[in-house]
Amino acid sequence: MRRHRLLDILSTVTVISLGLVTVIGLLSDRDSTAGEMAGFLIQLVALISALAVLVGIVNLLAVHTGRIRHTEYGWPYSLIVLLAAVAVVVLRIIDRAEGWSGDLEGETVSLRVFEAVQVSLESALMGLLVFFLVYAAYRLMRRDVTVWNVLFLAAIVVVLVGWIPLENMDALGDVRDWLVRVPVSAGARGILIGVGLGTVTVGVRVLLGQDRSYRG
Amino acid sequence: MTPENLDTIAGWVSFVLTLLIFSYLLGDNILYRLAVNVLVGVAAGYVAIVAVESVLVPWLDDTLLAAQGDRSDATMVAVRVMGMVPFLFGSLLLFKSSRRLAPVGNLGLAVLIGVGTAVAIVGAASGTVIPLVKAAGESMGDDALEGAVMVVGVITTLIYFQYWTVEHQGRVMRAVGVLGTIGRGFVTVTLGALYAGAILTSVAVFSDVVREQLQFILDKVGG
Repeated sequence: MRRHRLLDILSTVTVISLGLVTVIGLLSDRDSTAGEMAGFLIQLVALISALAVLVGIVNLLAVHTGRIRHTEYGWPYSLIVLLAAVAVVVLRIIDRAEGWSGDLEGETVSLRVFEAVQVSLESALMGLLVFFLVYAAYRLMRRDVTVWNVLFLAAIVVVLVGWIPLENMDALGDVRDWLVRVPVSAGARGILIGVGLGTVTVGVRVLLGQDRSYRG
Repeated sequence: MTPENLDTIAGWVSFVLTLLIFSYLLGDNILYRLAVNVLVGVAAGYVAIVAVESVLVPWLDDTLLAAQGDRSDATMVAVRVMGMVPFLFGSLLLFKSSRRLAPVGNLGLAVLIGVGTAVAIVGAASGTVIPLVKAAGESMGDDALEGAVMVVGVITTLIYFQYWTVEHQGRVMRAVGVLGTIGRGFVTVTLGALYAGAILTSVAVFSDVVREQLQFILDKVGG
């Protein structure tokens, strides 16, 4: 542990100094030296984040390659992950190199694959969510009937039923509109302000060196 | 192969993958897991492409691979050195995979955390807290009753969260407890409405997915 003490101090100094420089830069005029410095640091972080994402993906592929090599449980799924990732990258490289010939010349096949696979799968998963949301609400009442559960479900029912365009039931729509406009808006603002205050508090703790969990 | 053939193949792939995902309604099964793993692989590939094409390549073009033009040699050296800085810090992250050398990787992480924290503080203060507090105060002007409910809702919601972080003893804290209970009501109604919103959104997506896939099959069957 003692060997890394200097590196730990260097990490803390880096966090505090870069954090303070960025805060000052963001609060300064954009054309000032501090503002330009903050802009450069944010760009630097965007680049490091992109590199971190690439490191993560390489790690993901390495883990799945290891599972295939050792024929661990579920290795065919790992093979699918690898093949899908490699196929997408290869298609994109061919697109960039304008390697398609014949009728496909000039086509961006990788975008079509994106729509056919990624968009379809994500839409289907989102559609699947409706069953679990309704079932979870049903299970909530089966589990325990409390004031808060009843209030929660009443809010759900009012919003859902108020959404249905029933004839001669304008009052229900009005109740729904009022609920969303006043108490829900107030609650949402309270939650968001709480999240904002929490973010500022944790951020200040990090910049003051009180929270050094990133050294772990 | 023509673009039309490609569209047909894409349509069938989309149809089959949608069915595989919906097979989860029968329980966790091999078909669902197959589709999810395809999603993981494709998403990983696309994220890598976006990271390289949208972030790294433009930076390389502007710095390490930039043409000299009418810039001096000293300027070009400075540009190329600056171009290497993110790669230096990025490469430090590789040390995180080693338990012994992980503290070296923390230096790369420290840059991310330092700047990220600063952006989060300024963003949360100027983008969330100040505008929302201002909006809550301004709501008093429109309708006195609604404005009062709004202000009470915002304050009691904040008290509700604070209420749970302190021990509630004494008369003052009991009063805070009552306000916290009112706040809990606002939070519950808000989460209920958001939950209903999520149900409505997923119903809309579900109906759209089913309509799209049925339309594709009907088009193919009908010729």
